[in-house]
Amino acid sequence: MLNALRRRLNIPPRDQWRATIAKIIDDRVRIITAGLSIRELRAVMRGDPPTEKPNPRYKVITTSFIAHLRPRYYPQASTWFTHTYRLGFFTTFLFIVEVITGVVLMVYYIPFPDQAYESIKVIESNVFFGELLRDLHRLGAEGMVIFSWLHLLRTYFTGSYKGPRTFTWLTGVFLLLITAWLSFTGYLLPWDQLAYWAVTVGTSITDSGPVVGPALNLLMRGAPDIGTGGLLRFYLQHVILFPLLAIAFISIHYYKVSREHSISLPAVVEETERTPEQKKEDNRRIDLIPDLLSHEVFLVSLGIFIMLVILYFRMFHSPLETHANPQATPLDTKAPWYFWWLQGLLKIDPASIIENLANPILGIVGIKLELSKLLNSKFIMGLIVPPTLIIILMAIPYIDRNPSRLARKRPFAIMWGIAWVFIVIALSFMGTPQFGIETPPATRIIQDLAPEEGEGALRAIPYDELVQGIYVVGQDYGPDLCPTLHYQPNPEADVDNVVVGCPHLTAVFNEFSEKLLKAEEEDLLPDLNAKITVEQFQWNLITVTPLVEWTDPETGKTKTYFHTYFLHQDRPTQP
Amino acid sequence: MKRVQLEIVLGTILVLLSSAIVIILGVQEPQRLADYEVQQRAQLIEYGASVFVTNCTRCHGSQAQGITGVAPSLRDEAFFTKRLGEVGWGGSLEDYIVSVVTTGRQISTRPQLYTGATGTSPVMPTWSEKFGGPLRDDQIRAVAAFIMNFEPYALGQVATLEPLAPLADESTPEGRGQAVFLQAGCGACHTISGISSGNIGPVLDGLVSRAGSRVSGLTADEYIRQSIMEPSAYVVEGFSDGIMPPNFAEVLSEDQINDLVAFLLTLQ
Repeated sequence: MLNALRRRLNIPPRDQWRATIAKIIDDRVRIITAGLSIRELRAVMRGDPPTEKPNPRYKVITTSFIAHLRPRYYPQASTWFTHTYRLGFFTTFLFIVEVITGVVLMVYYIPFPDQAYESIKVIESNVFFGELLRDLHRLGAEGMVIFSWLHLLRTYFTGSYKGPRTFTWLTGVFLLLITAWLSFTGYLLPWDQLAYWAVTVGTSITDSGPVVGPALNLLMRGAPDIGTGGLLRFYLQHVILFPLLAIAFISIHYYKVSREHSISLPAVVEETERTPEQKKEDNRRIDLIPDLLSHEVFLVSLGIFIMLVILYFRMFHSPLETHANPQATPLDTKAPWYFWWLQGLLKIDPASIIENLANPILGIVGIKLELSKLLNSKFIMGLIVPPTLIIILMAIPYIDRNPSRLARKRPFAIMWGIAWVFIVIALSFMGTPQFGIETPPATRIIQDLAPEEGEGALRAIPYDELVQGIYVVGQDYGPDLCPTLHYQPNPEADVDNVVVGCPHLTAVFNEFSEKLLKAEEEDLLPDLNAKITVEQFQWNLITVTPLVEWTDPETGKTKTYFHTYFLHQDRPTQP
Repeated sequence: MKRVQLEIVLGTILVLLSSAIVIILGVQEPQRLADYEVQQRAQLIEYGASVFVTNCTRCHGSQAQGITGVAPSLRDEAFFTKRLGEVGWGGSLEDYIVSVVTTGRQISTRPQLYTGATGTSPVMPTWSEKFGGPLRDDQIRAVAAFIMNFEPYALGQVATLEPLAPLADESTPEGRGQAVFLQAGCGACHTISGISSGNIGPVLDGLVSRAGSRVSGLTADEYIRQSIMEPSAYVVEGFSDGIMPPNFAEVLSEDQINDLVAFLLTLQ
C-alpha cells in the first residue's frame, strides 16, 4: 500500500532521493538565472571557464530581458580603464540613484508654494534618513552633471565621436542637455531664496528674445512671476517629462553601443601596427558573464561607498536657505555652479566691446557707432550664443572630417578641446556673483561677514561669546574684546575645555575694522564711524548689529548702512 | 586570485562598509532629528524676530513691551496666562497669535486701554497676504514662534533681560527722560548710539546740532517739543508723514515730555 502511494505521489525510491533533490534545486536555479545550472553558477563566481557546451552563459543573453539589452562581450582593448574611465557607466549609475532617491522624496514633497519649503523641512527633520536621501539626491545630481561633461570630454579627446558613432554622439549631446535641464528644474523645488532667484534669473533670459521671448518666459513661469503655476510646471518636468526623455535617450544611446558599434577601440589599437600577440590580446573577448557583470557590480558598490563616505564626513550637504521671498532679491544671486559659465557669458556686452574697438578708428571719419540700442546683450549672449554653441557641439562629428582618431594626427581638434575647457573655466569664474558687480563698500564688507543667505563668520560666533556691548571701530580693546569671559564650549562632553575671552567675536570685529579702515584710507568711506552692537533681545536671543556711517564723497551727505542679525542660543553651530 | 573573484571580494567588502556607514547613521538618526527640530525652532525664532522688528515694533514697542494707549505688551505674564481665557480661545496661544496676526483686529477688544496706531479702524491691520497684508503665512508663524519665546521670561522662569543702556539715573530730568524714551517705544524707530537701534525714523545722534536750525523761529527745545506733540508739523526730508504716532501729547504726561525733551537736548 505504501508503494502504491509512493507511485501515486511520484516519489522516487530512497536511493534516488539525493539526485532528485539536486535536480529540483538545479531546475530552480536555471529558472532564476535564465539558463545557468548551479554548477555553472559556481564556475561563474569563481571566474572559471564554462562547464557545458554550448556555452550556457550566452543562453542567458537570449532568454533574459535585462541581459539581452547587454552586449555578449567587448573586445579586451575597448575595456581599458584609461580609455573609458567608466564615465558613461557612472553617469548611468547616478541616474539610477536619482530615480530611486527621487521616488522616495516624491512621497514627502508637496509642489505648492505655501507648503513646498515646509515639506523640505519635514523631510530633513521628521523623516528617518530624510536628510541622507535629500543629500544623496543632490550629490547624485551634481555628480551626474560632472560625469556627463567628463564623458563628453573623454569621447571628444579619444575621437570616439567619429563614424560610425556620429549619431551616438548626437544622442549624447541631447542627454547632456536633458541632464542640465533636470538639475535646473530640480533646483526650484526646495522653494528657498537660492532656488527662487536662481530660477527667476535663469528664466528671465528668454524674456529678451524676439517675438516669442515674453511668451516663452510666461510658458515656463506660468505667470509673470514664478508662483503656484511655475512651481508645478517645473515639478512635472522634473519628475515626469524629463526623466522619461532621459530614459528614452539613454536607451537609444546605449542600444547603439551594445548592439551596433560597441565601445570604440583605443586609437592606438585601431590605427597603429600591433604585434600578433598584442592583436590577439586586444581582441580577446571580455564576456558579459562573468567579467563585465562582476566589474559592474564592483563599480556600483564602489560608487555607493564613495557617496556615503562623502556624506558621512559632511563633505557635501544640500543647502536650504530661507523661504523664497519674491519681494527681496538677495545681494549675491547666483545660478547653480554648473551654469556659472552661462552667467559669465551674460556679463559680456558684445555691443560695447565692438563700440570700444571701432569708435576710436571710426572717430577719425566722424562716425560714432551706437550698437547698444540695436544689440541687446542679454539677447545675444543668452539666446544666440548658447544655442549656437550647442549646435556646434552636435555638429562636431560632421565638422571634423579628419578620419584619424590618434591624438597626434589631430592636433587642432585636441587644441580646440583644451582651449574650450579653459574658456568654460574662465567664463565660470566670470559668472561668480562677486565678479564684475560693484557693491557699495559698506554693504560688501557687512555682506562678506554675514551673507544674507548662508552662514558667514558672524553667524558662526558661539552664543556664549556674544557679550553685550558696543564695539567701536578704531578703539583699542587690546588682544581680546572680552578678556574676563570664560565659557565651556561643550559642557556635556568636555568639562575641562574652557575658552578664555571671545576669540570668534574678536576675529569678526578685527576683520570688520581692518576692511573698513582700509576702505577709509582709500577714500571710499571718508569720516568713517562704525561699530558692532551686541544686545540681548530675548532671554535666549541676541542681536548683533554692524553699523557703518560715512560721508558720501559725491553728495557730501552722511550715509548709514547697518544690518541687524538675530542669533538664537540653539542655532545650529557649524564647526 | 582571478579578477572576477577579486572584484567579488572587494565589492563585498565595500557593501559591508557601506552598510556599516548606514547603520551608524541610522543609530545617530533619532538624535539628529531631535537636534534638527530644536535648531529649526531656533531659526524660526530668529526669522520671526526680524519680521517683528520690521513690522510690529511701531505699535507693540521695540521689544514687544507694548506702547501705552496704543497696543498691549506681548511679553507680560497676563498675556501668557489670562489672555486666552479673556477672549475664549480654545486652541493654543501660538495658534491664537497666528490667527490674530493673520486677520488683524477690526475693533479693539479693550478700547479703553488700547486704541491702535492711529485710533481708527482697524486697530490692528490684517497682516496675511491672503487678506491684502504684507506677510506670508510662514512669516506669521515665525512671528508667533518669536512671541512664544517670551514665555519663560514672562512667567519669571528665566533671568530678566539685561538692559544694554546704562541704567537711567532717575534723579535728574535727563535720566528720567531716557527712561521715558525707552518706555514710550521711541527707540523702536529712532537710533541713539548705545541706547536704541530703530531704523524707521531719523537717527537722533547729534540732534542738538540740527534741532535749532530746522524750523526758523523755533529754538532746539521748541522744535523737539513740537516734533513729539505734533509730528506732522515738520517732517524731516526723506521720511514720510503719518508714520510717527500723533498721540504722544495724550499718552505722556507734561512732566514726562519735559523730561524727554531734557534728555534729547543732551544728544550733542
